[in-house]
Amino acid sequence: MQIVINALVLGSVYVLISIGLTLIYGILRILHIAHAGIYTLGAFLGLTFYALTGNFWLALILSMVLTGIAGVGVYSYIYRRVLSKERIVPLVISIGLFIAMQDLYRLIWGAYKKPFALDLGINDIKGKGFVITQHQILILSLTGISLILLYLLMNKTKLGKAMKACADDLVMAGALGINVERVVSFAFFLGSALAALAGVLIGVYENNVYPTMGDEVSYKAFVVIVLGGFGSLSGAVVAGFILSFAETLLVAWKGFLLPRDAIAFLVMILVLMFKPEGLFRRAST
Amino acid sequence: MTLDYLYTLITFSNIFIILSLSLNVLIGYAGQVSLGHAAFFGIGAYTSAVLAVKFGLGYGTTLLLSVLIGGFFGFLLGLPSLRVRHDFLVLATIGLNFVVVALFKYIDFFGGPYGIIGLPAAKFFGKELGTGGYALYTAFWVVIVILLMIYIEKIYLRYGFEAIRENEDAAESIGVSVPLFKIYAFTISGALAGLAGNLWAYQMGMVFPDDFSFPVSITILTMVVLGGVGTISGPILGAVLLTFLPELLRFIQDYRLLLYGIIIVIVMMYQPSGLLGRQGILRKAFKR
Amino acid sequence: MRRLLAVLLVVAVSLAMAGVIKIGLFVPLSGIGADDGESALHGAMLAVKYVNDHGGVLGKKLELVYYDDQTDPKQSVSLAYKLVQKDGVVAVVSGSYSGPTRAAAGIYQRLKTPMVSAYAVHPDITKAGEYIFRVGTLATVQGRAGAHLAVEKLKAKRIALLVMDNDFGVSLANAFKAEAKKLGAEIVFEEKFAVGEKDFRTILEKVKKLDPDVIYATGYYFNASKIVTQAKELGIYQTIIGQEGYDSPLFIELSKNHAANGTVITTDLDRDSERPVVQWFMKEYEKEFGRPADMVAASAFDAVMILAKAIEIAGSTSKSAIKDALYKVSGIDSVTGFKHFTKDREAVREVVCQVIVGDRFHRFWVIDDPEIVTPGK
Repeated sequence: MQIVINALVLGSVYVLISIGLTLIYGILRILHIAHAGIYTLGAFLGLTFYALTGNFWLALILSMVLTGIAGVGVYSYIYRRVLSKERIVPLVISIGLFIAMQDLYRLIWGAYKKPFALDLGINDIKGKGFVITQHQILILSLTGISLILLYLLMNKTKLGKAMKACADDLVMAGALGINVERVVSFAFFLGSALAALAGVLIGVYENNVYPTMGDEVSYKAFVVIVLGGFGSLSGAVVAGFILSFAETLLVAWKGFLLPRDAIAFLVMILVLMFKPEGLFRRAST
Repeated sequence: MTLDYLYTLITFSNIFIILSLSLNVLIGYAGQVSLGHAAFFGIGAYTSAVLAVKFGLGYGTTLLLSVLIGGFFGFLLGLPSLRVRHDFLVLATIGLNFVVVALFKYIDFFGGPYGIIGLPAAKFFGKELGTGGYALYTAFWVVIVILLMIYIEKIYLRYGFEAIRENEDAAESIGVSVPLFKIYAFTISGALAGLAGNLWAYQMGMVFPDDFSFPVSITILTMVVLGGVGTISGPILGAVLLTFLPELLRFIQDYRLLLYGIIIVIVMMYQPSGLLGRQGILRKAFKR
Repeated sequence: MRRLLAVLLVVAVSLAMAGVIKIGLFVPLSGIGADDGESALHGAMLAVKYVNDHGGVLGKKLELVYYDDQTDPKQSVSLAYKLVQKDGVVAVVSGSYSGPTRAAAGIYQRLKTPMVSAYAVHPDITKAGEYIFRVGTLATVQGRAGAHLAVEKLKAKRIALLVMDNDFGVSLANAFKAEAKKLGAEIVFEEKFAVGEKDFRTILEKVKKLDPDVIYATGYYFNASKIVTQAKELGIYQTIIGQEGYDSPLFIELSKNHAANGTVITTDLDRDSERPVVQWFMKEYEKEFGRPADMVAASAFDAVMILAKAIEIAGSTSKSAIKDALYKVSGIDSVTGFKHFTKDREAVREVVCQVIVGDRFHRFWVIDDPEIVTPGK
């Protein structure tokens, strides 16, 4: 039971981070490594606003909005200008950007890890042989709400449908009169805001925020989107949980045979060998 | 006296020239982007370290075996690349990098987290090379590798590689065996990275797992792309630039890494084919 | 006229040179180890200030020349040449991690320049040669001390072991295991984890079922804060024993629900010490840099203090004389209770056990049995 809860919490975080990457990859086919830098920015902004206002929810929303805007900035000032170039160009730009971002955070917020102490005033749920802490409740509920909202957005609104159309075929979507520019910007906004949410939640959950906290995310999230089939939102959600359960169960069963990252990548390589297009191939392409 | 500082920088720069040229065989000629090149670098270095320290083999043997084993693992990675394509391959190579480093760390035979320490200095005719001599020695290998690159570019391989890079299906249709060329590319690339690993191991006198981790792969890829994919001079320039840049930027101490990142972004935005790439600013300047 | 100018220049240069003795320092100031690097730099700067305020060395002021190595052995190696040959430092302090430090140690040995490693733990660092010293406590000593703490002081019979998968964690765990078995305790559980690991709940669940007397967990403060937090969440109330890796105010800050309380660690830094230099260091560090000092800062401080003393004993800035003098340094104003070096250039000191109570480190026990605290025994 405890294992299931641990895996669900871990999976929630994987999913929140991967959604942004999946949206962006789905539409622009960019391996957006700097997404991990955006995630870190979200965590730092959340911490800063929480320290300033003392109101966690306000800080969370401010962080999501500002980080979302930063994401749009990355798109319109940087990626947009190199979209026509070879695919490796945005990849390297993304790497350079990630390096610069992390060092910028160090200069602004300092090199030391900062605690993110938050007491929501909710009691931990204690059952027979398991416990769900208040921060786990926070993560599970916010992830649940986000996923439901995302589902409604993608399937019930015009904007969501436009995003799907763009992901299917960018040129075609433009020809059909969809304002591609706006849709892509929105995808960056949404993806970055969700990354900020993940950053803040992880900051609270781990009780620390620091400039290089994105390192692990920068490659781990890709495992999720590869397993999810590159660009499929539902695939990413399922893959996030599959990965978290695989890791957690393996640790419970065998201990740390190898570091978690190596396990995750081993799973990914195995899957790719047998299903070179990921577990959930996009239906349309 | 103070030249040793320069010599070590030149040695590191030479090692990275070989690494970036070897990665360029994959990216530039075969169109296979790898973000796990440090794995082969590490395999080469660990081969030399294990053989020299645990089995007491001489320099010539370790050099040869580093190249062969590096090439063999390149060949092995070439096999899945026939199935796994594009971005999936990029991710698979990242994965490979993590798995290889994890194995170095978790298997005691490879020294575990302690790495392997105590490689003897490389000896030639019973004489040790100083820092200057070793820089010269690595430069010798750079020249050999460049000649090999020119050969690869000139001779028929270029034909096949170029075709795969542009379009795999079209390559097949004009009778180029795509699988064979991919395997060639991976094998050559792995062997040369193995060579670089050998040079590194003897330069440092030791190997640690983290010296071959994912960020190193990122650095090598950045060198290739920044200089100019698919050229010979490009990756060389990239390697020299990114080895010396952190040292040149020392005067700004605290902003060094920030500026390093920004420089990469700006160069790529305004010189997307690389400084010495086909449309690169430096290439044009030279032509004029 | 030209000759006169040349003479004047030489005089001016030697006058300027006469005033200072240069000590080098390489530390990670950007990238992954930037926090520890900053602590080490600040500790070293404070030591230079302390020495200079007390009249300098040999009538001259100490000057610290430092560079960022980004935890990259490539850079630490080329910096070794730069510091020695270009900047002309007479001795060097390593404020960096094991990889860069071990790689650079070989170069300093070759250049016959004394190097004192502040807190890098790799056992082979000092094996680079007669010029390479370490001020931090060797991991084998700390592991051994930890075993005595567990078995003798805390009366543990059944011990669970969590091992971080790098040189630090593995060295500690091996030494601990051997000594604990010798003392008659049983290791009932052992599991390795990666340095970046964040979720220990699954292995802690297993530990809980085994119900050991104590848990010996190697790791840094950021692993440790998660281990203690998650252990408390799962209702594990056994004492967790840590080491100097835990020794940072951040260990307490990053643990949730005051979970750090009750943890016992072996370390170098005795915050309750009445010795004036410790009190001065703790107070001055917080005043100067706006945060409480940690073990890394204290070790770097001592490395500089030891070098200053060695230069004084040597009576000159000759590198080989400083090297010889390092073997004789003792009884200095040190924050970490450094006594002297062994012939293998490892530090001898009392191992201090600290307990966390009321979210603060306090002295718990002191191990000074030479059989335990002398490296190489």
